[in-house]
Amino acid sequence: MELNGGSVVAMIGKDCVAIASDLRLGNQQVGIASNFDKVFPVNDKLYYGLPGLATDVYTLREHLRFRVNMYRMKEEREITPKTFTHLLSSTLYEKRFGPFFIEPVVAGLTTPTPLDPNPKPYISTMDTIGCITTPKDFAVAGTAADKLYGVAEGLWEPDLEPEDLFETISQTLLNAVDRDALSGWGAVVHIITHDKVITRTLRARMD
Amino acid sequence: MALYSNAPASYADHTSAPIEHRFNPYSDNGGSILAIAGKDFSVIAGDTRQSEGYNIQTRYARKVWQLTDKAVLATNGFAADGNNFVKRVKQRLEWYEHAHHKPMGLKSIARMIQTMLYAKRFFPYYVYNILGGIEEDGSGAVYSFDPVGSYEREACRAAGAAQSLIQPFLDNQIYFKNQTPETGSEPFIPGNLPLSTVLSLVVDSFTSATERHIEVGDGMEIYVVMNKGRTTDDLLDKKKLGPGMEVEELGALGEGGGERTFLVRAALKRD
Amino acid sequence: MECSFGITGKDYVLLCSDTSAGRSIVRMKSDENKIKSLGPHLAMAYGGEPGDTNNFAEYVERNMRLYHIRNNYPLLPGPASAWIRRTLAESIRSRSPYSVNLLLGGFDTTTSKPHLYWIDYLGTKAVVPYAAHGMGVYVSLSTMDKWWFDGMDKKEGIEVLKKCIDEVQKRLTIRFNFNCILIDADGTHTINIESEDPLADFESKTGSAAQQEGIEVPQPPIDVGVTA
Repeated sequence: MELNGGSVVAMIGKDCVAIASDLRLGNQQVGIASNFDKVFPVNDKLYYGLPGLATDVYTLREHLRFRVNMYRMKEEREITPKTFTHLLSSTLYEKRFGPFFIEPVVAGLTTPTPLDPNPKPYISTMDTIGCITTPKDFAVAGTAADKLYGVAEGLWEPDLEPEDLFETISQTLLNAVDRDALSGWGAVVHIITHDKVITRTLRARMD
Repeated sequence: MALYSNAPASYADHTSAPIEHRFNPYSDNGGSILAIAGKDFSVIAGDTRQSEGYNIQTRYARKVWQLTDKAVLATNGFAADGNNFVKRVKQRLEWYEHAHHKPMGLKSIARMIQTMLYAKRFFPYYVYNILGGIEEDGSGAVYSFDPVGSYEREACRAAGAAQSLIQPFLDNQIYFKNQTPETGSEPFIPGNLPLSTVLSLVVDSFTSATERHIEVGDGMEIYVVMNKGRTTDDLLDKKKLGPGMEVEELGALGEGGGERTFLVRAALKRD
Repeated sequence: MECSFGITGKDYVLLCSDTSAGRSIVRMKSDENKIKSLGPHLAMAYGGEPGDTNNFAEYVERNMRLYHIRNNYPLLPGPASAWIRRTLAESIRSRSPYSVNLLLGGFDTTTSKPHLYWIDYLGTKAVVPYAAHGMGVYVSLSTMDKWWFDGMDKKEGIEVLKKCIDEVQKRLTIRFNFNCILIDADGTHTINIESEDPLADFESKTGSAAQQEGIEVPQPPIDVGVTA
């Protein structure tokens, strides 16, 4: 975790979710790249973030892309955030005794179905071996996790509209990573609503 | 018996190795403190839980101390060192008053704390100090120290177990970091917030830290030092205080220069 | 005690590596080429554990060649970087991991864009405009931060590279010799960074630059009638 640095945060809003990450890739104290995105789309209502060891970020992302594509072809439907969380969890647990050094965060909206006509916005997070937590407010992970907890606990409130959620998650992330030497160097935020995803790259301190 | 000429490993005498004991003179007693300076007041706060590891030693232990009519000191880290340090600071302040017939000024207290901490550079007080109060020019001030005496005057500072949770929040709310005023409106100036806003930020900081940090909780003591002549309505108006919060005025310690110190107590979650 | 840089420009990428080989404080060789050409428009500067480095570089080289032969076109820089990264990522969790760090530089002939990848022995990949490995990180990344800008022409790029090397010579106690290449639309060229005007040196040459300069670049593939 402390080798490459990086942090991810996700938050629940009113009929929307948000997920954001910093853009730093480092080699211990040395910054290597400021374009290293840690949040990836699964489909237009489901995103996930992979803070941790950068080599595992790529490996896990490639693996998940394969598994989700196989799921999509076999099931002929999109994977739900909950199912994806369990897919990710079991992928991590497969490596129980030689884990991926990643603490994933998942954020998504479930498409209403006859069985579940009013699904709630969904976020989840896991430890490195796939133990799931599904918070009802926000989820944080990465080298600035404790800072993110502090700021998010102070700024977040229930039922934020998409634009207010954007401001809340952006301020949370920026102020947390500014106090973390291993995170920062730019940030990217995704706001997921039922009809669109808003992605914004934030200008941040570059030190 | 040749078989046993070299005794098998399981026969090794495990009791004969010298057992080393080493006394560790330090401990970490958790908890968190913070201070915020206003234009003509200063707020110094701390929680009241004292713990060692997962064990709560007491739910009420003071971490914030009134030193003079215009200085309040918050200590955090190793409680025994903290208590002893405060005791010796108070003793030095008394000596000063006897020698000079006046209480020591805030910035002088700050400099004295530096020398007292640095005097023990190679066996330090394992304590992070935050000193708050009213400066000689009447402005609210906060001085923060590390255990060996590096110090700085600031607009706000958090320290202790939940420093990493609280400080970035204060950066945002007190220093307005990552915020820009709307075009055409007044620029943000740190250290000019009204007392009511500062108090609610302090309460929010501690409730947040209590929520996410196991070493923070039980209760909160907020000291408010006000410059002489300042109105106290914004603090004493019951309607402005949160539920369960109580205010008490602490009487003047010396002859009284007009500065007033109030102690606000509030409950925090005990789990 | 190694040092390599990569810099992208408007329509080219520069790779530069020191030429010393040795162990701890002893230098056993001062003219070791640690840049390997992996195709007509692809090369890497590599370093790390001696032995692993050459073995891994040759393994990559032959696989790039194999792809070229099978498909009759070379692997583009992006896919090549993904393959190399994966190879290293699988290696790190194997019983005998390669410990090789590399900078992969290439020119995408389909989009006419230069590419540079920073890859380490763990399989960490970063897509970067400029990068360094080894001791160079500590002295020349800041030089590149200051002087690099988007869309540099060849002269400007070489100027930045020279500044980096000057910084290395100035700040590091070890003396390095450097080996540089430039990859552009025409292919791979060696650059004599020591010379007064390195650009004029290689521009004066005509024809397929690489072959004339004696760089080992894979020839156009032989048609062996095999398809992937």
